[in-house]
Amino acid sequence: MVDYFALAISHGLLAIAVWRLLARADLDEDHPQPRPAPRKGVGVHGESGGDA
Amino acid sequence: MLDLAFTAFFLFLLAAGFKRPFIWVLFYLYVDIVQPQVISWGVLSRLPVSLIAFGAAFFGWLVMDRKDDVRFTLRQGLLLMLLAWCGYTTLAAAYPIDAADKWSWVWKALLFAIFLPFTLRTRLRIEAVALVMVLAASALVIDGGIKTAAGGGGYGSLRIFVDSNNGLFEGSIISCVAIAIIPIVLWLARHGTVFPTDWRVWGFACALIFACALIPVGTQARTGLVCLAILCALYLRTAKHRFLIAGGMALAMVIAVPFLPKAFLDRMNTIENHKSDQSAGTRVAMWKWTWEYAKANPMGGGFTAYQSAKVTYDTMEEKTTGSTTIVTSSEVEEVGRAYHSSYFEMLGEQGYPGTAIWLALQFTGLLQMEIIRRRWRKRTGADEQWQAPLAVALQLSHVVYMIGSIFVGIAFQPFILMLIGLQCGLWSYLKRIEAPAPSAARASRQMKVVTARSGTPAQPA
Repeated sequence: MVDYFALAISHGLLAIAVWRLLARADLDEDHPQPRPAPRKGVGVHGESGGDA
Repeated sequence: MLDLAFTAFFLFLLAAGFKRPFIWVLFYLYVDIVQPQVISWGVLSRLPVSLIAFGAAFFGWLVMDRKDDVRFTLRQGLLLMLLAWCGYTTLAAAYPIDAADKWSWVWKALLFAIFLPFTLRTRLRIEAVALVMVLAASALVIDGGIKTAAGGGGYGSLRIFVDSNNGLFEGSIISCVAIAIIPIVLWLARHGTVFPTDWRVWGFACALIFACALIPVGTQARTGLVCLAILCALYLRTAKHRFLIAGGMALAMVIAVPFLPKAFLDRMNTIENHKSDQSAGTRVAMWKWTWEYAKANPMGGGFTAYQSAKVTYDTMEEKTTGSTTIVTSSEVEEVGRAYHSSYFEMLGEQGYPGTAIWLALQFTGLLQMEIIRRRWRKRTGADEQWQAPLAVALQLSHVVYMIGSIFVGIAFQPFILMLIGLQCGLWSYLKRIEAPAPSAARASRQMKVVTARSGTPAQPA
């Protein structure tokens, strides 16, 4: 019973942690570039890039 | 049911890696710490899960991750040298078959420690590794903690999931590791972003630290008690409210002592009076033997060279009846006992060169964490507050490990090698954000030129 409890709580928290990491853009880049919203008639040239 | 749950979790991590390949690195950490293939009797016990996780982590990094800002640090060089040296001593080992057996997991643990820093490219990744290491170890610690609180345990008899004396399931090793993770638990509770600090996080952290402190009681491993005492002393050294904390610790001890099992107190008393204790006697005798063995074999005897050890020592027992004390001395002879110390394990198995590399690896770790602490502690930026405390936490964990290592042979313990990998990763990451690697700097310069040509002012990097 204790074994099941210890495994459930640790694995539950691990699963939540991984789930949250999947949704975090800063996992792969510290300052991820926001995805540019598609706008009609406006080219991407001339727009300043975010912080590098 | 348990097998099904383990398999589902295994598949979940494997699948998550396809979306974010870094998850496979965490997957390997989890597999190596919890060892689901040992706990489970189902499909996982028949699969090479550790190899699958290692392959996935390496493949994910090689094929899908950025590598333009990768650096190879001094300590990774030391790990590589240690790996090569261990390979050599295994080939020339006194007991080739047993040495090859130990080599089969040592090389993997060393290689992963070399590899891990390459993947730690962001702050979140560093936090994720610390978090997964703590949560994976928490499975064992919570299990052992609750069983101890419920009155179970005893020297060599606290059963954590399985009857195994391997890896983290061994009493002295889990005692040392449980105490070593306490500073990291505190850092995660204060600076974590995956589980941002709130009352639930602090509730879990406090319960986990309590369970960690119970592990030395449950396993009755004196090593753990020594580690805990050292950790408390080190915390008092840097704490702001040291008198308040010292008072709290003293109060906790006064309350705890009457509840501790008598067997535990009796065993802890032998720290002072080690002459009556056979286990302590073996240790000292083995250390003497190893010292002489290294003189005769300066290049080391390869893994498991202790098998040729033959030691004799005396144990003294005092019995007091009334005003008379009778001291009985008896001679004990033992063959092929383990080293009971990582320092002597290195000396006997890897000789002087291996020991020198290993010691350099340990002390450069303490030094690098100290450098980071001094460099970052006075910074005031909003995203400059986590670095120095993490360096302190990793340094304290390392000190606990090095103290525990005096009494337990855990020179190549994979969990500690992961900790070293995490230290290398933090060091390399902070160097990188302070001064970008040549290729990254070149890319940044090119971008600025392009931006300037297009007539827009460049953004600060």
